Amino acid sequence: MAGPLVRALRSPRVLIALALVLGIGLCAVLAPLIAPHDPQEQNLLSILLPSAWAQGGDPAFPLGTDSLGRCVLSRLIYGARTAMTVAIFAALGAMIIGAILAHISGYFGGAVDWIIGRAVDVWMSFPPVILSLILMVGLGIGLRNVILAIVLVDWTRFCRVLRSEVLIVRRQNYVAAARLLGFTHWQTIMREVLPATTPLLITLVSLEMAIAVVVEAILSFIGLGVRPDQAAWGQMIADARQYVYQSPWNLLLPMIAIFVTVSAFNLMGDGLRRTLDVRLAEGGR
Amino acid sequence: MIATVLKLIARRLLAAIPIMLIVSALLFCVLRLLPVDPAAMSLPPNATIEEVEAKRREMGLDRPLPEQYLIWLKDALHGDFGSSIHFRREAGGLVSATLPATIELAVFAMVLAAILGIGGGLLLFRLRNTVFEAAADLGSILLLSIPEFLWGLILLFVFGVMLRWLPFTGQVAPGLPAPHITGFLLLDSLLIGRFDVFLSAWRHLILPATALGLAFSPPVMRVLRSSLFDIYQEDYVQQARLRGLSENRILLGHALKNGVLPTLTLAGVQFGILFSGTLLVEVIYSYPGMGNLMVDAVRNADLPLIQTIGLTYCIVVLVINTVVDSLYVVLNPKLRVS
Repeated sequence: MAGPLVRALRSPRVLIALALVLGIGLCAVLAPLIAPHDPQEQNLLSILLPSAWAQGGDPAFPLGTDSLGRCVLSRLIYGARTAMTVAIFAALGAMIIGAILAHISGYFGGAVDWIIGRAVDVWMSFPPVILSLILMVGLGIGLRNVILAIVLVDWTRFCRVLRSEVLIVRRQNYVAAARLLGFTHWQTIMREVLPATTPLLITLVSLEMAIAVVVEAILSFIGLGVRPDQAAWGQMIADARQYVYQSPWNLLLPMIAIFVTVSAFNLMGDGLRRTLDVRLAEGGR
Repeated sequence: MIATVLKLIARRLLAAIPIMLIVSALLFCVLRLLPVDPAAMSLPPNATIEEVEAKRREMGLDRPLPEQYLIWLKDALHGDFGSSIHFRREAGGLVSATLPATIELAVFAMVLAAILGIGGGLLLFRLRNTVFEAAADLGSILLLSIPEFLWGLILLFVFGVMLRWLPFTGQVAPGLPAPHITGFLLLDSLLIGRFDVFLSAWRHLILPATALGLAFSPPVMRVLRSSLFDIYQEDYVQQARLRGLSENRILLGHALKNGVLPTLTLAGVQFGILFSGTLLVEVIYSYPGMGNLMVDAVRNADLPLIQTIGLTYCIVVLVINTVVDSLYVVLNPKLRVS
């Protein structure tokens, strides 16, 4: 693992992406320190202000205000907090469920494999958007439920891809050798199979984080995401969509935030895939 | 040829019926487990507990879950999907009134996605071994990171708000009539002979359809490019070159035909996702299709309507996947024999 990881850190793609992710992460962690205002603080006397440098702008609100007079910059910064929380926990949750089922399914094969495979098939015949909407109706809005809904929808992505990787690894001689040495199934999976599937796992987590950011934005945009008293980029877009003529920039800013975050995670995933996957790294393309 | 395709599609759709039954049963169970009482919701707020109980019995909610499902299934097979609690109308009728608009949007988006995907894939491949290769590659990854949700907003922002070239709300300009004969507005406007309505509907369709097309073409581009890379290892490409054919002639006349096949399997999955992607684009553009109806239903916890729309989405996606898969089998000479 050390070799490929060092190689990954030398790839410009991964470095740029990592810098972006760290930057957004810092915004999220330090939000109370760097945001000029409370993101919920309403200033009804100064609604839909343009940015500070534009005509009519107020230096107290560097990027202007929304339809309730809330500071757009502060809401963007706190929105990063929501997005990153969802990205990390939803991706890890989906990874854990998907990876466990994929390893059981691919390693043991047979009836277990068949049952898990059919479950994934049925699950995937629900379009993800529809399934997450239905789940949000049942779970109710809130940050924790957004994470839960994403986990419940997206574990199949991990399960399907990892299972085929486990199938390949299981046939390797060193896995058979481990069994002959007297390793239990559990030991074999943990010590021999898991290290071989980890590179793919890391890549998938990175890509899933990008998906989670988008899904959170979508759910918040529709009004079925986090609670209204929590800043989220999707909510900012929904608010700005109503006042798009008065203040078009309010629509653009959260869009840029989502785009940068999603591209950073995708770029990181793509860079990791190229460097961590031995076959790809040695084969050139 | 067409008869074989139809037979194949029919056989595969029949094979998909068990999955459909499981999906519908799951959908039914999930929605019944929600902490929402459809009986209480369909009565006025001042209803007594006895009235709610009577309503529960009338709706069959006091029976065991499997029995409820079988009753629902029997009704559904007769075309009765229950009535919407919020709209107080037949759920099936509401869906069939909005489905054509969504299909219209999805079909244009698919055509666009195919054109952009194949064009972009050819361009990416043509740029190989040139100074633009790295830039094009990076560009295609960035394109891949823009989901339909963001494309919808970007196009709305640039062409709707900034440049003011195209309308971005609704299906037709306010004030114009929206005829409802077949439900497909483009067709209906021509049927009543109103060319201005037709034109307006077109202009309203451009932005949402382009947003979906742009979002779903990058995977097609990348698969087409990599399958072209594989094809160029084959002898017949070398041979065509020795025969003195131009690079463009080899690419378009020989390689493309074989390169498109792998893209077709991907397209089946992609078009399925694209169809459900119409939901978000419809919300962004206030387009009166099934997606907006779904969001209304979800906001009002309108269980019968959610169930009907959810099932419709699943069925349409399944049908799209099946049809594209069958086309793949028919078009691929290696699979045609069996």
